[in-house]
Order: sequence, then structure tokens, then C-alpha cells
Amino acid sequence: MSIEQAISTAYAHWNVGQINQAEVLCQKVLAVWPEQPDVLHLLGLMSHNCNNLDLAIDYLRRACLSPQTPALYLSNLAEMCRQKGLLEEGEKAARRAVTLDMVSTGAWNNLGIILQEMGRYEEALMCLERVVNLKPNYAEAHNNLGNTFRQMGDLKKALDCYKRAIVINSDYPEAHSNLSNLYKDLGDRQQAIEEANRAIEINPSFFDAYINAAAAESAWGHHEAALQWLNALLGVAPNHAAAMANKALTLIKLRHPEDALQTAQQAVFMAPENGGTLDALAQALQACGNYEEALSTYDKAAEAKGATAFQTLNNKGTMLMETGKKDEAIRVFQEILTLNPRSATALFHLADAKIFKADDPDISRMENLLEKGHIQHYGDRLSLHFALGKAWLDVGNHERAFHYLDAGNRLKRAQIAYDPDATHQWMNSIADTFSETHFQQNRGGGISSDRPIFIIGMPRSGTTLVEQIIASHPDAWGAGELTALCDSLGTSAFPQYFSQATPEDYSRIGNTYTALIDKLAKPHRRIVDKMPANFLYAGVIALALPQARIIHCRRDPVDTCLSCYTKLFTAEQQFTYDQKELGQFYKAYEKLMAHWRHVLPVDRFLEVNYEDIVANLETESQRLIDFCGLPWDECCLEFHKLTRPIKTASANQVREPVYQRSVGRWKASAPYLKDLLQALGNAS
Amino acid sequence: MNPDTMKLAQQSEQDLDILIKEGHFPEAEVALRQTLSQGTGPIATWKMLAHVLWHQKKFEEARDIRLMLLKNVPGDLPLRFDIAESCLMLGDFDRGWREYRHRYGLPHTKKIERRVQLPRWNGQRIEGQTLLIHDEQGHGDTFQFMRLLPLAKERSGAIIVFEVSPEVLPLAQRMPGIDIITQPGMLPPPGQYHCELMSLPMALGLTFSDLPVSTSYLTPDTLKLEKWQQRLAALPHPLVALVWGGRPTPYPDRSMSLEQLAPLGDAKATFLSIQKGPHAEQAKNPPEGLSVINLDEEIKDFDDTAAILCVADLLISIDSAPLHLGGALGRPAWGMLMHVADWRWFPDRDDSPWYPSLRLFRQTKRKVWTDVVERVRAALQSL
Repeated sequence: MSIEQAISTAYAHWNVGQINQAEVLCQKVLAVWPEQPDVLHLLGLMSHNCNNLDLAIDYLRRACLSPQTPALYLSNLAEMCRQKGLLEEGEKAARRAVTLDMVSTGAWNNLGIILQEMGRYEEALMCLERVVNLKPNYAEAHNNLGNTFRQMGDLKKALDCYKRAIVINSDYPEAHSNLSNLYKDLGDRQQAIEEANRAIEINPSFFDAYINAAAAESAWGHHEAALQWLNALLGVAPNHAAAMANKALTLIKLRHPEDALQTAQQAVFMAPENGGTLDALAQALQACGNYEEALSTYDKAAEAKGATAFQTLNNKGTMLMETGKKDEAIRVFQEILTLNPRSATALFHLADAKIFKADDPDISRMENLLEKGHIQHYGDRLSLHFALGKAWLDVGNHERAFHYLDAGNRLKRAQIAYDPDATHQWMNSIADTFSETHFQQNRGGGISSDRPIFIIGMPRSGTTLVEQIIASHPDAWGAGELTALCDSLGTSAFPQYFSQATPEDYSRIGNTYTALIDKLAKPHRRIVDKMPANFLYAGVIALALPQARIIHCRRDPVDTCLSCYTKLFTAEQQFTYDQKELGQFYKAYEKLMAHWRHVLPVDRFLEVNYEDIVANLETESQRLIDFCGLPWDECCLEFHKLTRPIKTASANQVREPVYQRSVGRWKASAPYLKDLLQALGNAS
Repeated sequence: MNPDTMKLAQQSEQDLDILIKEGHFPEAEVALRQTLSQGTGPIATWKMLAHVLWHQKKFEEARDIRLMLLKNVPGDLPLRFDIAESCLMLGDFDRGWREYRHRYGLPHTKKIERRVQLPRWNGQRIEGQTLLIHDEQGHGDTFQFMRLLPLAKERSGAIIVFEVSPEVLPLAQRMPGIDIITQPGMLPPPGQYHCELMSLPMALGLTFSDLPVSTSYLTPDTLKLEKWQQRLAALPHPLVALVWGGRPTPYPDRSMSLEQLAPLGDAKATFLSIQKGPHAEQAKNPPEGLSVINLDEEIKDFDDTAAILCVADLLISIDSAPLHLGGALGRPAWGMLMHVADWRWFPDRDDSPWYPSLRLFRQTKRKVWTDVVERVRAALQSL
């Protein structure tokens, strides 16, 4: 057999899966002609096929040293370099390939993906459009073109490309999976899940589809469902770094920061130089309150290869805001906007951090982005609507403001499955369950700790302000919005389970809660838990922790609701995105609070009015501190200097000294609040 | 979980393993249902429940549990393979073949998947192009699914290259629908498409009602047939060929011993041992009352076996390659099947939709052959 015959026979064996025969022939040729390029190329392909990427790159590099190297070998080297993240080397190889063969669709395609991954979208577009012109039925190229358009923010063109790829090859999992992700961005959850399922049906081991399905569930706040998808993936691929990173983010949303941190650390262990895993680690560190390390990890993530750098910078900015470093945060958001003038997230955060004047150029900039169709991403459009609502309210143009707020709330409401009637019934049943008789029967249970202070009320009713005042006291620790109480209730149905509850049940809950609080490892005499929604569980607090104090924050109903309506909450707040539903919820809340006022022991239950605090800061603060059983301390009047991080929508406001501009502010907006006022039964 | 309940759980897990290992499936089912009484539980526990249901022939319920699990772990390929077997067993060929494509996703099969660089044929017309079809493991499988080769030829319009192990090769050479025959490791002619033999059902969309597709599609070699006709001419009919053992993997329970066939001895028949492999040894010392002519050393290949089966009046065999060969030749054959037999025999029936000339005798109790042999003996006497 001649060398030429041996080589072609080796390729033929390889083609039909006779890998041993192919390898034997390769070695025979190399024995007489070391570094024979065709053989090295074949060995490279074989190594790649056996999941040995490093070895494959090594063989192909050597194959490409020959003066006779054909375009195909360089093109294959380019693609393998891309897979390894060696983008510069990949680009060089691909460019050599297209120089040798100007009509090689494979080489242009590979060059296109590399450029896209380098963020050079216009150049990528030129390559990939050339490919589909040369070979219109090349499904992969259409898919890649779709990815590039998506990166450029042109979601509609991306949609066309993915669909074309699927028309050419309906069994193409990548295209279905990418389509899933795109539908998520376009705000179509059902299609997003369907396409992910389709990809998995075609290839159950196509892992990206699981991650995209989880992302779609997450976008609609279905974090438990997202977790299921990720666990399904990790069940079969336990070392999948991206799945772990996404799981960490989901655990943060589900308020399990410690688990999130552990998972994120595993992800970084598997993929240490990856922007996605580092970003997840930074977020988990932030959720655990380790802000210093979070900050340096964000910086590392932003520099890492393949990083979703803008997202990371946005996250960093948000954290700086949370920790009171407003100026630094603004600088970060402005930096993002210089690099990417269309970053809706940066504009949104920036809007939150400043007070707009009528001539602020950001207003027309945001309006242009929305109205000229530059921004097609559903979540981005949503954020911009709220940002513009905020901007026009600042400026005092209520008509413009409510044009955007109404539209923004409608967009958000469409993402939420909320049943107002069921919610109101449920709240009624809470009052029925925790009746006066129930209190009499269960008095004597519970844990006698007087450490916890619960701040409850509607969102945007001044709970953050009250917490800041108390937490400024040296003997008190502000723990923020804890899920500890809810977690202590266990998985039994609330409130049904409690109709049969015994004093022992309440002792158990009290024990669980205090144990969770102890885990915070703070030496302070008082721990402030300001989860506003704990107003639903005030009855449980009084019976499980009879010595704990409950502070109810009140504020003018319309002001409260208006403030809710203008906010895009980070955590799930289901009832605030429709004026009528919001007003109805407020009424149900008021009714439940009236019940608590009647049954809760007066010495452990205090009600404060936001308006009174703003008007008489010193008197009201002293009343609060006195109720908490602490000696007066002047620090409490300097609460805005406290450096403790604040994670709620109120972050920017409590950093300022008390201001009165929020009192009665709704009157100017009255013409746009008809539905809300009607639901509240407010004739004025 | 406190240490006591943990210990309890570990203990019951061990007990469960023993119950399953020793074949106490109803008891294991009770224990598992207790664990799962809340309707939730670890996936491994549900899988175990499906397993013990399967071994009690509760195939529908086992399939439903597996399908329910798949919603939680769609990427679990071993689970998909179990679903393939469940669906095929129940005659749902559509879903069954679709899931059967994951047979190389199991821990022990991953390494043996053949990495062919040609695209897989999906049943489409590929007039004049070359389609490489290659057999997998198990001669029984190959005999059973070779029936699809002419159909693949007709449907694809392609030149069919069939790569088959040398043991089966001569039989393939006499089959229609194959253009070129080649062997593993030998370079086939250049082709455009490939398909595993066992992926043909999916590509062709084979349904249960299509069975048997073809009968007597294998034929003996005429020279060998003459030779065996002469060799066995002097023996009194009926001539009954016997096979009692097969490879222990994956089903050790499918085999029996020649000893257990002793009751057949009082039938007026001449017994021919066509047993090959390590079990053939037993034919040298047959049980008392059962006289057996041991053909082991005279059988060189499946062509010999095929010719013998064409001369003999009947084959009595466990679930093994000769049973498939007999069926594929269209010769009368009786299969003795273990209690929970392979999916291809479907539940409970005593005939085979694949092979009209087959009759099946099934175990009524796990690992117990006595009554099977008794029924075979009775049938033999009324022959």
C-alpha cells in the first residue's frame, strides 16, 4: 500500500466508524513520514470526536504547519480553538482559511462565530451573510446569524433566522433551543418552554435547552420550576458549570443565599475563568452580605473571557447602590452606557439613582429606544417604561409619566399569574383562623425571647425608614427582609393547618425562628426583621414569640399604592401592577390589620404613621426606641449615615435625610389614578 | 433526619435490596409504596418501584411511572431505555423505537457506540446512493431484524451495504435486498448514509401491525442441507433439536440445564443437541432416560445450525439465537421463556407476531422450569 493509499484508507475507515483501523494506518504513515499533515488532521478529528479537545488542537496546529495546508484544516483548527475559548488564534486560522479558499462556507461560518464571540457583530454579520448567500440551505449558518442578530438586539431578525434554520432542518436542537431563549426575551413564555422541550425531545442530552427553559421560568418568577429544570440537568451532568451557576442565581431568588454560595463556588471550581460562573459567585457573595469579596469577584468576572460583561457591570452597580455608594454606582452605569448606549438595565438603574430635570437628555434617549423599536427585549422594554415613568414624575409631567407607568405595569402584569379573589379569600381565612378563641386556647405556648422586632405593613409604607431608625441604635441589628418566619412555618398549608394548632406547635415555630436568627451571629439585643409581608403572619408571631415586638407601618393609602405602582420590584410582588387589584389588595390588608389590632396584645404591637415620622422625626423615633425597650440614642436621628446595605426598592430614599416631598404626593396624580381611587373607595 | 430515623432508613434500604435481589417483588412493592405514600420521593426509589412492578408483569404501571419520572429528568438516558423496553413490550412501537435510539446512552454501552461520520438514514428516499447498515451485538437480534433489509432497500432506493459478523454472513448472502456484504473492520465501499440494524425499525416507522413483515427470509445452504439430510437420514422421526443454555448476560435466568429437560425423554422422539458454547458440555452426560445425539462438534457455524433446523421436525429452545434462527427460517420451534421475558416476546401470549412458526411456553413462576418442561412434554406427546 502506498502512503497515499494508506491515508485515504484511514480516512475511509474513520468515516464509517472503524476508528481502530484508522488509527493503526495513521501510526504506520507517521512512522515513515513524521508530521504528515493529512494524518495529523485526521488524528485531530478523531481526538475531537472522542472529546479530547486539547489533543485535537495540538494535532491540528501541527497539521497546519505544512506549506500545503488546505483551507479545511485551518477552518477546523479555528472552530476547535473557538470551542477552547482561544478566540485570537481561532480568528487567525479562520482568516488564513478564507484567504486560501474564498468560497469555503465552512471557513466563513467559523470565522463568523469567532467574531461574534469577540463581540465584533458587524464583521460577524458580513461573514455569515456571505455564507448563507453561497449556501442558502446551510441551517447552522442561519442559526449563527440568528445568534449574531440577537446579540445586536435585533430580536425580530434573529427570530426569522432561527425559524429559517428550522425550516431547513426541523430536527436541529440548537436552533430550537436558541428560539426558546429568544421567545423568552420577546416575552412569550409558553413558546419559550415549548421550544426548549422540542430541543430536548430531539436530543435529551442537549444541555443548553435545559438552561434556557430554566431562564424562561425564572423570567416569569417561577423559580421553583427553574430549579427543577436545572436539577434535571445536574442529575445527568453533575459537573455542568453553567447549570450550577444558574442554580446559584435561582437559589438567591428563592432566598437561600448560603446554598447559593456553595453552588456558585462549585461552579467556579469547575470553570474558574468563566465570566458567567464568576458573576454567579459574586451575586451569591453579595446575597450573603460579603460585599468586599463580591466586588472583587464582579471585577474579575467583567474581565474574564466570554463574560456577559454588561450584565456583570450592571450587577456591580446595583450592589454599589445597595451599599450606599451611589456615586460609584452612577459611574458604573455611565461606563456601561458609553460601551453600550442601548443598555436598558443601566438606564433603569441610573433613573432610580437620580432626580430628573426636564432637559435631561436621558429622557429622550430612553423614549427613542422604546419608540423607534431599538429595544425589542421584553424585560428591557419593561424597565424602560418604569424608568420613564419615574423620570416624568420627577419632572412633574404626570400625563407622560402615567402613559409609561400604565404601559409598564400592563407589561409586567402580563407576566404574572395572580388571582385577586383567591388572595382576598385567603386573607379573610387568616383572620377567621386566628380568632380571639384561638388566641385564648394557645396562650402559654411559644418562646419567650424578646430579641425579634418585626416591622410589617404594605410595601412602600416606610418600613425601610423605620428599620433604619431602629437599626441605627447600637443595640439593634437590622437584618433586612428575612424569610425566616415563613421558613419556620414548615410546608403545611397556611392558615388551614393552624386551626388545629396547639401551644406546642407554636413553641416549635418559635424555636425554629430563633434558631434561624441565631445563625445571623449578631451580638445585638434586638434583631429587626422587616419583611413587610409578615403582616399576614402577625397572629403566628404573637403566639410563637409572645415577647417579640411588632411594629406596623402605616401611610396614606393612596400614597402607598401610588408608590407601589411606580415601582418595578425585584422580588415578586404580584398585586401592585394593576390599579384596581392594588386598591383591592389594600382594602383586604386594611381589614386584616383591623383584626390584628383587635386581637394582638397592646404592649407588643405598635402602629406608626409615616407622615408623623416625617413631620416629627425626633418624637416618633423616641417612641419607636422606647417601644423596643432600648435606651434613647442620638444615633437614631442620623440613620441616613448608616452604611448597612439596603436591598429593597427604597434604597436611594433612606440614604437621604427625611424628606417630605412624598407626603400627599398623589394629589397631583389624581386624574390618572381613577381605578385605584375607586377600588380604595376614596372619593376625594 | 435524626440519627435514629436515618439508621432505620438505611436498614430498610438494605432490606429492600435483599428483597429485590432474592426476587420477593410483591414484598418489595409494599415497602416501596409505603415509602412513596406521600406521592413524592427520590427518583431512585420510583425507579425501583417501576423495576419491581415490571418483574410482576405490571408493565403498564411500570411504564407510567417511568414516563412520569421522565418529565423530571428528560436527560436520563438509562430511563429512556427502560421506557423504550416498556413501550415495545406493550406494542407501542412508535414511542418505543424513538426511545430505543438511546440504547447507547447506558453506562455499559456508551463506550461501544460506533462513531460513524456519515449521516444516519431516517427512512427518506436516497435513490442510487449508498446506505451502510451494520449489525450490533447479539446474533439473535441480527436474525430477527434482518427481515427489514429488503424493506429498507425498497424504501430508500439505495445500494444496500450490510456489514455483518462473519458467523451470520453466509446467511445474509442468500438474502434478497442486500447489494454488498462486508464484515466488521473491513473497509466497506464509500457510502453516503448509515443506519444501525436496530435503528431500521425507527427509520422505517415499523408498527406492531406490520409484523411479521416477512417470513422464511433466511434460507439454508443447499450443500449443507444435503449433508445434514444424509447425516440425520437414519434417525427415527420426529427429530427434535434442543438448546438449553445461553450467555449469562444480560439474562442469567433464561438458561436452564439439560438435566431439567429429562422429563422429555419418554416422548417418542430423537433428540439432537445443537447446543454450542460452554453449556454444550452437558450433552456429553445427558440425564438418565433422555438420549441425546450431541452435534456440538459437527456444527461449525450458523449455516450448519440452519441446515439442521431445516431437517429437524422441531426445535425446543430457550430464548437464544437458534430460536430466532428457527423462526427466521420459518421452521417449527418452541421457545421456553423465563417468567418476565424480553420485550420482543410481548406479555403472556403463546405465539409470536414476529415468527408465525413459533410457539411459546412461559414460566409461571420465576426461575421455575418444571411446569414449563411438563407442558412441553405434553405438547410433544400430542404431536
